[in-house]
Amino acid sequence: MNLVRAELERLTARRFVQLMVLLLAVAFAVTTATTLLGSHRPTTSEMSAAQTQAARAVAAMEAEHTRCLQIKAGEIPIIKDGEYVPADCAELDPARMAQLPLATDYLSSVFVFSHEARGLLYFLIAFLVLFAFLVGASYIGADLNSGGVVNLLLWRPGRLTVLGTKLGTLVGVVAALSVLSSALYLGTFWTIGQTAGLPGPLDGEFWGQLGAIYGRGLVLVLLAAVLGFGIATLGRHTSAALGAVAAYAVVWEVGCRLVLQIIDVARPDQLMLSTYLGAWLSGKVELWDGNGCPPGGGVCDGGLYTITWAPALLVLLALTGAVAGAAFAAFRRRDLL
Amino acid sequence: MSAVIEITGLRKTFRTLRRGSRVAVDGFDMVVEAGQVHGFLGPNGSGKTTTLRALLGLVNADAGELRVLGASAPEQLGRVAGRVGAIVESPQFFGNFTGHRTLRLLAVAGGVPTSRVDEVLDQVGLRDRSEDRVKGYSLGMKQRLAVASALLKNPELLILDEPANGLDPAGIREMRDLMRTLAESGVTVLVSSHLLAEIQLICDHVTIIARGRRVAAGRVDDVLAGHDPHEWRVRVAEPERGAELLRAAGLTVTGHLDDVLMVGGVPESELISSTLGGQGLWVRELTPIRPDLESVFLELTAGAAPPRQPDGTTPDDAISDETGSAAEPLIELDRTDGRRVDA
Repeated sequence: MNLVRAELERLTARRFVQLMVLLLAVAFAVTTATTLLGSHRPTTSEMSAAQTQAARAVAAMEAEHTRCLQIKAGEIPIIKDGEYVPADCAELDPARMAQLPLATDYLSSVFVFSHEARGLLYFLIAFLVLFAFLVGASYIGADLNSGGVVNLLLWRPGRLTVLGTKLGTLVGVVAALSVLSSALYLGTFWTIGQTAGLPGPLDGEFWGQLGAIYGRGLVLVLLAAVLGFGIATLGRHTSAALGAVAAYAVVWEVGCRLVLQIIDVARPDQLMLSTYLGAWLSGKVELWDGNGCPPGGGVCDGGLYTITWAPALLVLLALTGAVAGAAFAAFRRRDLL
Repeated sequence: MSAVIEITGLRKTFRTLRRGSRVAVDGFDMVVEAGQVHGFLGPNGSGKTTTLRALLGLVNADAGELRVLGASAPEQLGRVAGRVGAIVESPQFFGNFTGHRTLRLLAVAGGVPTSRVDEVLDQVGLRDRSEDRVKGYSLGMKQRLAVASALLKNPELLILDEPANGLDPAGIREMRDLMRTLAESGVTVLVSSHLLAEIQLICDHVTIIARGRRVAAGRVDDVLAGHDPHEWRVRVAEPERGAELLRAAGLTVTGHLDDVLMVGGVPESELISSTLGGQGLWVRELTPIRPDLESVFLELTAGAAPPRQPDGTTPDDAISDETGSAAEPLIELDRTDGRRVDA
């Protein structure tokens, strides 16, 4: 417990951590200020006009659906050349649409929380992932580099205990900061929506989807912290983690992707970590690969494939687990000079 | 007295991709008894720091047995860590923390009352600068901070690797006084240093390591006595005649400058005075030449064989072919009485 207390103080006292928290606060303040400045509570007339526009849009969709049904029934001919008529008119049925046009879609300069929440949350997750990776790497990297770990081991000779406590403290602090900042962040924008904009439709489905993104984002943030910590431990320096990520991005994600495409390797996206990141964060990604289609062109649905969050999580956990395991194994036997 | 540090047959080889394997310590033995102020001497790269790091669990030994306060290192170090204070080779601290915070964090991690922080800062003379960031400290101040961190635990055993590094003469004297005070209060001190005069002043026992092997160990006086050349400085009115008389008596005159003769191989001074006095040549000065730790150290470390490398060779094989120095037998002194023994 003493070690956890000391590590907690050591971590939170680090300037880099404080700087990153400050940056988060600044980014948060700027986003809040610009949102507030760019939004207003819609007047009754603005609201009425938007409702009219939304009703017109719904009516147009219904008319198109009806027209499709009439063409299929042979009641009316196709008038325009090249007019698209789907094989199944259900595609155009407004009743089957996930979301019908709403009045809030036609309000300009009005912040609608339900429209913006997902984007705002993704921005926050991206920042927290960066924060977690950098803090994780610099926390152990600086300690290894400055001799802090050696000093600590003179007091607590259990290497795995010391490293494990450091990692545990890091994960705990990052999780706590993520939860707090997310609550503050979303809470602030929800309040803006209530007072200086519109909340939009906040039904159970909305909160469920937002919660899923939030949960997956939080897992990603923690994995990033462990990954940064693990790579820096293996490389004995903060820059090892940054270098590894930069090298991976340039060599594999850019360079090898190009090579794989040139030599026509099937489904090269499956070999890229970014694919699994995207699949995990958004729930699934749909990809297309021309190798699955017959030569000669034309419409081909056979090239479509999907990667869902489950295999994505497996890949991310396996990678992070392997790096963390290697870091602990190396640190256990390493000569600390 | 009980042994607080026991090292038997320590061997450590460092392996790197670039430079291959290098034997740093090769079958090294050392014993430090309770209450001793024990000097640990050796030239740069002789294996001192590797030995201390292995003792503290920072380096994994390839072979050998290490015990600290009766606990096997590194497996049982946790059991005795609270009783051992240590600094190894110019310890580094996180630059953005103040000296006080650095010590407080260590105290919290080690379960030591934080009230000890101010006490040890006083002890090493850093109290006035304790709220400054460590990155603003001089090398000497960092060294004091390191010693303070080692003292925090009120240790029974203090292991100090080059504690005088970066200290000015006044700081070195303070460090010497501090070690004396600690020794008087019953703390066992193992100190490695290049400052041989300091070691001679502070320590009662010494172990000398060269090229990974122990070349001498025992009480400082015994180690020095084991290397006493029994040489005398003799001043006489007629040095030429005096030299002839001494040679005729079977003594060795090793030097001659003005009226001063250097006479070697003389266990008792009476032999000189009676030889010269018996022929009417009066001795004006008769002074024994005593060895100091520096000369003994240089003599021992210059003749030590390098450790065996993993391929069975020694790094100095090529040199020894030319100079023959590496082929000389290793001189070792018995740990308890400092007598020379063949290694």
